[in-house]
Parts: sequence; structure tokens; C-alpha cells
Amino acid sequence: MGRDELTDAVADAHRRGWGRVLATVVRVTRDLDAAEDAVQEAFAAALELWPDQGVPADTTAWLTTVARNRALDALRRERTLARKLPLLIVPGDDAPADVEPIEDERLRLIFTCCHPALALPARVALTLRLVCGVPTPDVARLFLVTQPTMAARLTRAKKKIQAAGIPYRVPAAHELPDRLPAALAVVSLLLTEGHTASRGDSLRRPELVRTATELAEVLAELMPDEAEVLGLLATVRLAAARSAARLDTEGGLMPLSAQDRSLWDPALIEDGCALAGRAMRRSSPGRAGPYALHAAIAAVHSEAPSYEATDWTQVVALYDLLLAVAPSPVTALARAAAWSHVAGPAAALDEVTALAADPRLHGYYGVPAVRADLLRRLGRNAEAAASFAEAAASTANDVERSYLLARAADPAL
Amino acid sequence: MRYMLMLFEQDTDWDAVPEAERTAALDEHAAFIAYLNSRGIEHYGAALRPSTTATTLRPAGPDRDMLVTDGPYVELKENLAGFYIVEAADLDDAVEIARHCPTGTGTEIRPLWDATS
Repeated sequence: MGRDELTDAVADAHRRGWGRVLATVVRVTRDLDAAEDAVQEAFAAALELWPDQGVPADTTAWLTTVARNRALDALRRERTLARKLPLLIVPGDDAPADVEPIEDERLRLIFTCCHPALALPARVALTLRLVCGVPTPDVARLFLVTQPTMAARLTRAKKKIQAAGIPYRVPAAHELPDRLPAALAVVSLLLTEGHTASRGDSLRRPELVRTATELAEVLAELMPDEAEVLGLLATVRLAAARSAARLDTEGGLMPLSAQDRSLWDPALIEDGCALAGRAMRRSSPGRAGPYALHAAIAAVHSEAPSYEATDWTQVVALYDLLLAVAPSPVTALARAAAWSHVAGPAAALDEVTALAADPRLHGYYGVPAVRADLLRRLGRNAEAAASFAEAAASTANDVERSYLLARAADPAL
Repeated sequence: MRYMLMLFEQDTDWDAVPEAERTAALDEHAAFIAYLNSRGIEHYGAALRPSTTATTLRPAGPDRDMLVTDGPYVELKENLAGFYIVEAADLDDAVEIARHCPTGTGTEIRPLWDATS
């Protein structure tokens, strides 16, 4: 087997298997660090043994067996050592581990990493590290912090899980309204960052989108009746459906208004819109949650034959509902942008000017970007150019910046 | 696992509170204790006098006696007013127990360090 082939095989096994292997091994070690070490060792063993033995048919099963054995060896070695942390609490662990479906195993890990007793940044970092197997330096890069800072954050979060007794279990149905938002926020953050990277030379970070997609699919599979889960999965599908149209042939950004809609994937659109519809129908009347509403907005855009023919009144109405359940200045800005297609750019410009005073939006490139577009439509090209330049200076994403700089040079582009 | 539920509220001198209000507060705690007993949960707890009655010792420096000062360790708008120590299965269980516990402005849940494990 060639070196590249082997690397690909291990990378593939890592992508598909890490979370599942770790989720299973955690039940043996009842210690997150020990489980992580064992899984790490199993992957190292794969690199060593697969060239001679060949890649096993079921890599996840192979890795689970090796990791579990390594964990048991380590436990035997360390039995005499003083334990610093209490063991992870695994409720209902009397049932043999092999009987339970493997997806449930991963879901335990997701809900443990996404416990509301952990702060959101800690939840996202833990999910990336433990569920998705993203190496700590990469997690650090995602959060724009140094590797030691991220390592310390992960250690603190893992320590809290065990010291505070956060149980390793899937919440019961009646607990879901409390527990679900904490998990959905993690997936949503991964999707947002994967869709438009906050910095770097690529517009998207496909590995984060893939991770978000997998997590959303697992959640939807296990909770097929939860409106918010369906909403999140709908958003995932609709973003995927339109992703091919977001870049032109030279790799430049294409905004929604200029996208070639024939490049959108009709099957994914249909699937996403159906999910969005189910999410809204499953929500209590007039009380749809933020994920169902985000999905509904994406569905309106996806079903529009063209940018101009979009049902903007409907988009604005949905943003109003969204602002009522989840107030946010970024949402208010998006609403103002949509509102400009109903009330005209002048009215929307006043709204954006008012919003720009919100300190939470300071330095956010979206404000000058939206303002620039409105100014251009008002024929105020010099001001538009200045705003595009301001927006370009505020984004750390190279693709976005190139696009904004091009618009600054020629606002009518 | 054992957890401490720390009940925070604005300083209250319960001796000065009208009797009806005091009785109502005590009844709430009696109801919570009844809940703990109905679940067979081991517990211990106490209410504290207001932070104005607190005395704090602070190190005064090397080779010097501790300094005795008036007032709580940290001056807050809300203070620790009472606590329970309860036996719970895990944090989720402790949160569930704390939901049943009357509180003023917030309840902090802290796991106890078990030196014997």
C-alpha cells in the first residue's frame, strides 16, 4: 500500500470513526482524558499496522477494539495510582455496551459535550475535539486563540464534566427543551463558520460544514419530531444546495443577488424546503423557534425563481418573528437588508444607520457591506465605494475581502 | 455525589421580617425538605444571619496575626444566605433538586470534594 493511500485510509477512518470510537471507549475508561489517549493510540497503531495487514473492512470496529484494549491496559497499570478526578457518571450502564445502537453512543457524547453547565465556547471546543476528533491546534485556530490557551480550555471543560458530575447520557424527552438549544448552538456555530470562514484564504471550510452536517443528521435521526432539529437540518441542506453557486469560475464570491440559480442542487432544495416546512408545522402556532425560522427564511430564498422575484415581504415577516424569539443585532441588520426590497433602499439606510450605533456591531463588516449596497442602489456611488472599502478592511476572509475590494473599485459591478 | 446548594439573596434580617412573611419562607423550606425526604435524599442545611453580622479574618502579612475585619469576605449586592448539602446522582439530578429549592436571587451548585475517593 502506498503512503498516500494509507494516509487517506486513516484520514477517512478518522473522519468517520473518531467520535464513535471515543464515545464507546469513554464508557470503559469513564475518564475523558484516558479515553482520548486510548483512541489516539489506536490511530497510531493503525498507521503502524495497516501497511502490512491491510485496511480492515470495518475500520471503526477495528479501532474500537484496539482503543478499548489500550484503555483497559492503561486502567490496569494505573489502578494503584491515586485518582485525582471522580469518574464520569454513566447512568444505566448495566446494559451491555454492544447491544445499544452505535449512534446513540455518539449522541451521549454530544449531549455531554453540549451540556448547558458548560459555556458555549467550551461546548464547541469539546464537541470539535471529542466528537469530531479535530486536533487541539486546529480547534485553537478556529477560535483564534493560541494552542496552550485552547488546551487549557479543553482541560478545564473536561475537568468540569467529571468533577461536577455531568452525566454521560442522552437526556430524557421532557428534558430536551432545556438541553437541545445548547447542542443546536454548537452545530449552528460550526455551520456558520464552515459556510463563511471568519478568516483565511478560503470562503468555506468544508470540513466544518461536513461535521455540522453529520451532527445535524445524527440529531435529526434520533429526534425526528423536534421542530428545531428539523429546522437546523433544513438550514444545513439549503446551504449545501446553494454552495456551488457561491463562487464563480475564478474562485471569486458570488452574492445571492448574482448567483446562477441553475447551479443550485434541486434535490437538496426540495429536501431542505420539505424539512423547513415540517419544522414550521411542528412548531407551536406563532411560537416557532429560531432554527425553524432561519430554515423558513432560507426556504423562501431557495424557492424564489430569481433574486428580484423573492417574496421579500415574507422574508421580512419571518425576520420579525425571529427577532421576537431571538433578538440579535446581526438579525436586525439582515432584516434591514431584506426590508430594503420592500420599502426601498432609503428607508432601509436609515434603519442601518440606527443599527450601526449598537456597540455589538462595531467592527462587524456586515454593517458597511449592507450600507454600501444600499448607497449604490441610491446612486451614491462614491459613498458606496467608501463603505465597500470599509467592509473589506473589516473582514479577515480573503475571498470576501477580494469581492468587497472589487466592489469598492467599481460599486456598480 | 454530594453537592452544596448555595442560596443567594439580598441581605435579610429574618428577625425583623413580619411574621407572616417569615412563616411563608419557612413553609417553602419545609416543603423542600419534605421533597428531599420523599425522595430519600440525604441532606443537611442551614440559614445564615445577614452578611452585616459577618466577621472576616485576613492574613496581615508574614509573621503577623490574622487581621480581624468587619463584614463579609466579598461585598456583594446579594449574599450567601443559606445552604443545603444534598446527595444527588449527578449534576442533572442536583439541578433538578435545586429547582425545587426556594431561592432569592440565585442558587449556585458546587460539587463537594470527596477526599476519600
